[in-house]
Amino acid sequence: MSALLEIAGLSKRFGGLVALSNVAMTVGESEVRGVIGPNGSGKSTLFNLVTGVYSADPGSLVRFRGEDITNREPHEISRLGLARTFQLLRIFAEMTVIENLLVGCHRQIEYPVGAALFGSTRVRAAERRLHAEMLDLLDFIGLADFAEMPAGELSIGQCRLLALGRAMAMKPVLLMLDEPAAGLSPINVDKLLETVLALKARYGLTVILVEHVMKLVMASCDVVTVLDHGKKIAEGAPDAIRDDHRVIEAYLGKEMKDAEVRAFLRSA
Amino acid sequence: MGPLARAIAAHPGYRWGAAFALLLAFPLAIANGYQQYLVDLIMINIVLAVGLNIVKGFAGQVNVGHVALAAIGAYTSAVLSTKFGLPFWFALPFATLTTGVVGAVVGVPSFRLEGAYLALATLGLAESVRIFIAVTDYLGASVGYGDIPPPIIGGWRLDGYAAYYYVVMPIAVVGTYIAFSILRSDVGRAFKAIREDTLAAAASGIDVRKYKLLAFVISALYAGCAGSLAAHMAPGFIHPDDYNLTRMITVILMVVAGGLGHVWGGVIGAIMITLVAEWTRSYYQYEFIIFGLIVVLTMLYMPRGIGGYIDRRLANRRFVALRTGKAAAKAV
Repeated sequence: MSALLEIAGLSKRFGGLVALSNVAMTVGESEVRGVIGPNGSGKSTLFNLVTGVYSADPGSLVRFRGEDITNREPHEISRLGLARTFQLLRIFAEMTVIENLLVGCHRQIEYPVGAALFGSTRVRAAERRLHAEMLDLLDFIGLADFAEMPAGELSIGQCRLLALGRAMAMKPVLLMLDEPAAGLSPINVDKLLETVLALKARYGLTVILVEHVMKLVMASCDVVTVLDHGKKIAEGAPDAIRDDHRVIEAYLGKEMKDAEVRAFLRSA
Repeated sequence: MGPLARAIAAHPGYRWGAAFALLLAFPLAIANGYQQYLVDLIMINIVLAVGLNIVKGFAGQVNVGHVALAAIGAYTSAVLSTKFGLPFWFALPFATLTTGVVGAVVGVPSFRLEGAYLALATLGLAESVRIFIAVTDYLGASVGYGDIPPPIIGGWRLDGYAAYYYVVMPIAVVGTYIAFSILRSDVGRAFKAIREDTLAAAASGIDVRKYKLLAFVISALYAGCAGSLAAHMAPGFIHPDDYNLTRMITVILMVVAGGLGHVWGGVIGAIMITLVAEWTRSYYQYEFIIFGLIVVLTMLYMPRGIGGYIDRRLANRRFVALRTGKAAAKAV
C-alpha cells in the first residue's frame, strides 16, 4: 500500500487553545481509516485542516497523492480528488436532490462558461448525460424517487445519504466522512455502513471516517487513529485499539475498571 | 400537424420562437403612445430585474448598487453618443461592457462580506456614484443630462415608442433566455450552491470567488444594458434622481415579489411593479405604503414570490406523479 495521504507535524491553535498538536498519520491507498476520540479531541479540526477550511500553523505538512496541499484553497484540494462530507451536512437545501449531486460534478464539466450563457446544444447534451449519470447514483443510494424534490425536505437519514452521494458525485480518490452516522437509528447505521462499503468496493476508494458510533468504526475500518486533546494517542487495528489503555482512559477516565470498559466498548 | 410544424415543435427553442413572434406583433394590440411607452419601460425593467435576480436570487449576494450600475451604463452611453458623437449601436455595447467591468469592482467586497454588511458596502458605492453624478457638471450635475439621441438605422430615427419597442423587446427576450441558460447549466448551479452554503460549494470544487465575481459581472452587464436603453429612450433625458435609493427599492421589489432565484419571477415582478408604480403615480406620497403592502402580502402568502409559488406547485405535482406512477406500476 503506497501512501495516499501523508500528514506530518499538523498543528492548529485557536488563540490560546491548542486544537491539534503535531499530529502525524499516513493513509494508504484503498484503506479505510477510522479517526476516533472524545468530543473536542480535534477530529473535525483535522478534517478542516486537510481540506483547507482552516489554515494550519507553520511547520504542518499535508501531502495528497504526492502533492503538497498544506493551506491550499478548499476548491483546489477537492479538485485533486479529495471529497468530504460535513458533520452538519451542509446540503443545498433550496436546490433539488439531483441538483445537489450535479454540483458535485462541477469539476467534470467540459463546456466553457460562455457556452453555458447561451445554452448551446453541447451544453444540453453534456447536461443530459450528467443528469442520467446522477440518476444512477441516486438509485444506488436509494434516493431516486426524490430526485426533483427540494433537498431541504428530506429526512435526516436521507440527508446523510445525499451528502454522501454529493461527495461521490465528485468521483473522489479519497472520501472523508465527518460523523456520517450521527443521529441515525441503528437500522440506518447498518444501511449507511452497507452503502459506504458498497461504494468503496465499487469505486476502489480510500475512506477516512470520523465517527462516534463504535460499531461502524469497528466493522469498517482497517486502521483506527485515536486523538485526545489534539494529540494522537494511539493507532492500530480496531481490535488492538479496543483494548488499548490510553484509549480507554481518554474516553472514560481512569476510574472505570478495564473489564467494564471493554464490555462497554464491545456492546456499543 | 404537417412535417414543418412537427419539425418546429420538436426544436428545443420553439417556445422561445413562438413567444418572440407574439411579442413582435404585440404593438398591434396597443392603443396609444402612453401604453407603448409603458411596455417599453417594462422591457427595460425586465432586463434590470432579471439581472438583479442573477446576483441576488441565484448567487445570493446582496447588491444594493444595481441601480447605480444602471446609472453608469446610462451616463456612459449618453456621453459617448453626445460628446463623442458615436452611434447608439456602439454606445450600447460599450456602456454594457464598461458597467460589467465596474461590476467586477463592486463584487470584490463580497469575498469578505455577507448579508447586511455587503448591502451596506454596495449601498455606499451606489450613493457615491449618484452623488458624483449630481455634482459633476460634465454629466449635467443635478440638472440632468439631455439630448441623448435615439438609435438610428439607415437614416430612420427610432425615437417613437413603437419603433423603440423593437430595440428593447429583443434585448429583453435574449436577456431572459440567457438567464434561463445560466440557471440550467453548471454556472447556475455553482451560483446557487454558493447562495446555499459557501463552504460546501468550495468543498465541491467550486472556486467561490471566481463565481461570485462572475455573478456580479453578469448582473452588471444587464444593469448597464438596461441603463443605456433607458438613456436613449425618448425624450433622451436622464437625471441622477432616476438612480436613487427609492428606485433601487422598486427594483428589489420586482425581484422579491416576482420570486428570488426564478427567472420568470423577475419578468413577472418587472411587469407588475412597473404597472403598479405607474398607476399609483398620482398618489406619489403613498407609493411606499403601497410597496410596503406588496412586500407584506408577498411574505405572508408567497414567501418565495410568485415564481417560487409556481415552481413549488409544479415540483409537488411531479413528485406526486412519480410516486403514484411507481405505485401503479407495482400494483400491476
